[in-house]
Amino acid sequence: MEIHRYEKLWLGASLLLIVTFIGTIVFGAIGPGVAMVDAEGGTITPDQLSADDRFSDPRVEQVGENEYEVYAIARQFAFQPDPIEVPAGSTVTFYIASADVIHGFEVAGTNLNTMVIPGQVTKVTVELDEPGEHGIVCNEYCGAGHHVMEGKLNVIPQDEWEGSDA
Amino acid sequence: MGLRLDVALRRSADGHMSSEQASADGTADGGTAVADGGTTTDGVVREIGHDEFDPVGTLSLILVYLAILVVMWIFMYFVEFLGNGPTVVG
Repeated sequence: MEIHRYEKLWLGASLLLIVTFIGTIVFGAIGPGVAMVDAEGGTITPDQLSADDRFSDPRVEQVGENEYEVYAIARQFAFQPDPIEVPAGSTVTFYIASADVIHGFEVAGTNLNTMVIPGQVTKVTVELDEPGEHGIVCNEYCGAGHHVMEGKLNVIPQDEWEGSDA
Repeated sequence: MGLRLDVALRRSADGHMSSEQASADGTADGGTAVADGGTTTDGVVREIGHDEFDPVGTLSLILVYLAILVVMWIFMYFVEFLGNGPTVVG
């Protein structure tokens, strides 16, 4: 088969484009460390959250220098704790469980955005470098009060941080 | 017309139609003489081989399209996604 040199050119360019697409995804995973939300959080019985040490008292806990864990519950129609307060410049791991139906946990305007499925503990880790106040919204329809289901994530400047008693 | 189209598509082994053939077929059909490289309004104007045909317009369109894809991808991934931190890292 005879292939015209222009055809070879744009076939090559198309293949290069695909390689570029895959390359940027690989770069995102290796460089900035972008990760997918997986099932690492384990499972839990939705109506027995109070029997679990992590969720009987939704809270923020310091687990290391600049490392925090947030144990949060999404339920109709609120997030607990509210607000979630963590210091800036910290690595925060969220463990989020649903007490009833499927919810969403989206820190508005950021890539911290995941589903919260009853029976599954959602585990996500983020680095919160900049102080600021973020809104948290539920982005999965969860019932009649879905539109009012919201929370707050306050990233407190380091010098104003007085410990995780949220 | 069918005859002339046939003539236009027919090639000899080296990719060029012989001038005798073109002339003979051209005159036989409609009486219009076809000269090699000529500008007659009715008939084969110019014969070119496979590699001599350069679809520059098509190439330009494809390159513009590829450029748009690259720019949009860079914007979507690096500006809208990675620039929209914090991002899930674990």
